[in-house]
Amino acid sequence: MKLAKINAQEGYPDTHHDLHSKTVFGFWVYLVTDFVLFGTFFATFAVLHNNTYGGPGAAQLFKLPFALVQTLLLLTAAFVSGLGGAAAHRKHKGATIAFFALTMVLGIVFMGMELNEFSRLIKAGHGWEKSAFLSIFFTLVGTHGIHVLFAILWVIALLIPVIKEGITAESLRRLTCLRMFWQFLNIIWVFIFTFVYFMGDY
Amino acid sequence: MLDRHHGWNVSYKPAILGFIFSLILIAAMYRFAIHHHLSGVAFSWAIFGLGTTTALVQLVFFLHVGMESKPHWNVITFAFTVLVIAIVIGGSIWIMNNLDYNLMPMSH
Repeated sequence: MKLAKINAQEGYPDTHHDLHSKTVFGFWVYLVTDFVLFGTFFATFAVLHNNTYGGPGAAQLFKLPFALVQTLLLLTAAFVSGLGGAAAHRKHKGATIAFFALTMVLGIVFMGMELNEFSRLIKAGHGWEKSAFLSIFFTLVGTHGIHVLFAILWVIALLIPVIKEGITAESLRRLTCLRMFWQFLNIIWVFIFTFVYFMGDY
Repeated sequence: MLDRHHGWNVSYKPAILGFIFSLILIAAMYRFAIHHHLSGVAFSWAIFGLGTTTALVQLVFFLHVGMESKPHWNVITFAFTVLVIAIVIGGSIWIMNNLDYNLMPMSH
């Protein structure tokens, strides 16, 4: 009771909104720790990117147009999940489902392209065991890919209750976290795109 | 402040703006990479600058960093993360370059 009174004085509308913002902040703290995880991979990449052990480097192995298509797919997925988040806040059930389903489809196409590139590299004899550069490339891009895979499964897990029960306070909270996760994945990809595919190209 | 944050969550506008800005920045990066009219160091700085700007645009317009109500805990935790990452990446490059330099006579 006392706490609710203090909250009201400080301008918090109600405890429901308080729970929402606490959950979203908690998820944000998880995201910044994931930024640190990827930061350590980028540090390793910065150190090892020239250690190709006589094999081909980034400029010979990667195709820029292919990486650009992947970038646009993931950017659009993050954008559409942002629209889905806004639709969920407006309690538009149909639009929310459509936007998040589209996010998932774009993510699946992205994953297909990534697995295609991995198998192309491994078949050509450029697997992760060939050089320090390829080890960190597969670790960095693969870890991001596992995150995308998880995000795809998460969309399915969250959309089922939305389809059944509509948008409740609980599903809105979860969808907000899901939207942030997709947007986080896209920011990590912007750095992968910049440092791995573009800077390795000259 | 709270209303402003709520407005950012409900509106479609921030996502649309972030998408357009990101597309422009990525198109600029791609042009630089394809046409090669910048050399070595200048190219790296241009790509680094454009890539970082794209990430910042998305942090603001997609993740709404800085748009929350008064105690800016989101911004504070993020600023600390950036500091940690800067130390890890900058420190790794610095110490490993130094090691490479000191090992020169042996490796060549």
